[in-house]
Amino acid sequence: MAISKNISTLMKNSSWIRAMFEEGEKLKKKHGAENIYDFSLGNPITEPPEALKEELIRVASSDAKGMHRYMTNSGYDDVREEIAQYQSEITGLPFTKDHIVMTVGAAGGLNVVFKSILDPGDEVIVPCPFFVEFMFYIGNHNGVIKLVDTKDDFHLDIDKIKAAINKKTKAILINSPHNPTGVVYNEAELLELIALLQERNQKGQRIYIVVDEAYKKIIYNGTKLPILPNMYDDTVAVTCHSKDLGLAGERIGYIAMSPRIRNVRSLIDATIFANRILGFINAPAIMQRVVAKFQRSSVDIMEYQKKRDAIYNILVESGFEVVKPAGAFYIFPKSPIPDDIKFVKTMLQHHILTVPGVGFGKPGYFRIAYCVTMDVIQKSRPYFKEVGESLRNGQQ
Amino acid sequence: MFEEGIRIKKMYGLDAVCDFSLGNPDTEPPVALQNALIEMLTKPEIGMHRYMSNNGYEDVREEIADYLRETHGLPFQARHIFMTVGCAGGLNVILKSMLNRGDEVIVPTPFFWEFKNYINNFGGVTKFVETTEDFQLDIRNIGDAITKKTKAVLINSPNNPTGAVYTEESMKQLASLLNAKREQGQDIYIITDDAYKKLVYDGIHVPNVFKMYDLVLSVTSHSKDLALAGERIGYVAISPSIKDVDLLVSAMTISIRVLGFVNAPALFQRVAGKFQRTSVSIQDYEKKRDTLYAILMEAGFECVKPQGAFYMFPKSPIPDELEFVRTLQQEERIMVVPGRGFGREGYFRIAYCVPMEKILKAREGFLRTGDRYYSGGK
Repeated sequence: MAISKNISTLMKNSSWIRAMFEEGEKLKKKHGAENIYDFSLGNPITEPPEALKEELIRVASSDAKGMHRYMTNSGYDDVREEIAQYQSEITGLPFTKDHIVMTVGAAGGLNVVFKSILDPGDEVIVPCPFFVEFMFYIGNHNGVIKLVDTKDDFHLDIDKIKAAINKKTKAILINSPHNPTGVVYNEAELLELIALLQERNQKGQRIYIVVDEAYKKIIYNGTKLPILPNMYDDTVAVTCHSKDLGLAGERIGYIAMSPRIRNVRSLIDATIFANRILGFINAPAIMQRVVAKFQRSSVDIMEYQKKRDAIYNILVESGFEVVKPAGAFYIFPKSPIPDDIKFVKTMLQHHILTVPGVGFGKPGYFRIAYCVTMDVIQKSRPYFKEVGESLRNGQQ
Repeated sequence: MFEEGIRIKKMYGLDAVCDFSLGNPDTEPPVALQNALIEMLTKPEIGMHRYMSNNGYEDVREEIADYLRETHGLPFQARHIFMTVGCAGGLNVILKSMLNRGDEVIVPTPFFWEFKNYINNFGGVTKFVETTEDFQLDIRNIGDAITKKTKAVLINSPNNPTGAVYTEESMKQLASLLNAKREQGQDIYIITDDAYKKLVYDGIHVPNVFKMYDLVLSVTSHSKDLALAGERIGYVAISPSIKDVDLLVSAMTISIRVLGFVNAPALFQRVAGKFQRTSVSIQDYEKKRDTLYAILMEAGFECVKPQGAFYMFPKSPIPDELEFVRTLQQEERIMVVPGRGFGREGYFRIAYCVPMEKILKAREGFLRTGDRYYSGGK
């Protein structure tokens, strides 16, 4: 066979996604794409800030030589310098350019981190529900994912995490604000988690916190994102500008390794090497230059908050059980029937496209990605209500 | 080497050093390309920076398929094209899609060292096969290296580090060798790293392997032909004649996603689509090759004249090329790479993708070195 066994298994396991996608496409053809309310994709419709677009033109028009050549694998010195400065500003820690490695988005960054730290059989704890790609990123480098259920409100269940830690635990992967739930972990629960890890540390086992900060800037109502590097030494943060600057297709992000990590130099060298041999080589040149200047900017967060409020209200008034998210642009309601795949198919008949919770390791729920226009959200309202009503009637 | 070069240049000053150690072309992208880029950005389309399908924009892949139909005479369609994060990304995607643990990939040596790392990433085993004296494929050696576990032969022509372009004849022999294996029930793929495909001299062409053999996957990057190395843009083209082609398409799509590439950078996909029939000046490279080759001959080095890429791979005057490379650096401030970095001791690589002035400036140093080893005390 032309393809590897490993990939063949992945294909079989994700066949339902394809089936669902095709069903959605069929309905779009039948009713017209504008009459199907597609909440299935985390592909934000938001455009990059105007100032960023202008900067991009300025960089592209530059007469300077060598703008598109290879640079050092970790990225341009001056770009990393600017990002280090920003990281120092928010953490108060002495970040230098050496602690920053520019990457092909957060997906690239996470693969680089796991390639760098994992030996075959090493375990990475991931709170569940979770972004299912994490499983592949860990598996790519022969690591083992250990899923740990979160509590009813999707916050960390410290007892369960404690029970999951063993001698093989190499890292815990935290994604906050979180895909698919929109939860933001608070300082208290992170301190509890850290206490667990420090206990291990004293026994000579180092466990990294790897934090996926893709949605870092998308938080609402003044919620504060705890600064993990200030709380725990062995923290590796992976960021991308897909969401906060609307540059998903351009594949730009970075790894920030805390200056407090023990022997941080060897980790830095490992990530630079991994970035090379995994075939990324370096992050795209032109976007490195652009994002360096926009570390303190973001797309309009108020817009997202309004959308969050609108979709949340629609769900509540339609009778869904749902935790109000504090960040990202996802909401993860309970499916009214245990079979979430069946429920998502029912929703499709009511013109609403969502993703079943099983795709995030949590059957019985479904994910709505509200990074769509407000218009789509508002127009979907009668359909959500229709679904809610039909279910209530069906149950009576 | 990159970091080492920076250090040396800091020590001696940029002008004093002739750095031939890096395959990082000093060439600029064509002016028309920069203009197209600016035009795209000044008339931005809504959504131009968003995610697209993992394989890349449909219209870009269609443009590339059109170019390949024209140049390779096979019915390529958009679905046979995968936009990738350069050649390095493309090769990793292919190997992830195809290799089971323990599968073997044959690589002719000397070779680009990263191939070994890429193969190893997915539990594959690299089987090295020596080339002939003039760095051409040794078909008998390849035949001997094939085992039941052989999954692919990875070909890089024009070659890094030798600049060799494998002849039509040798590629046909390779195809017939592998076809014989197919008749015995073993499918072995040819993966071609075509990063230097457009950089060929003396009016030759790179043989069209797609026409010779069905199971071909080709990886191209625009790092060299369009001088976009830092932007990480390239593509994989798989032969429409591959059996199970749809299975392979699905596997490639998943690999692009799960390896963390997600998709190739959006902006430069669009650029690449428009510039398939363009390249930087090949004549400039040919002149540099001629100049450098003449210098090496005058100095007394033994070297196969390359017909492509921008590398030359002369024999070291002493068996320990590491010592030679150090001496060249210390005595003449000329930086090259020892052959063992390409799996071949006793040779060294010169990357001549530098300004012509640097080549001319290095002349005296090469001549003195030649005197020292060839006519001097020896």
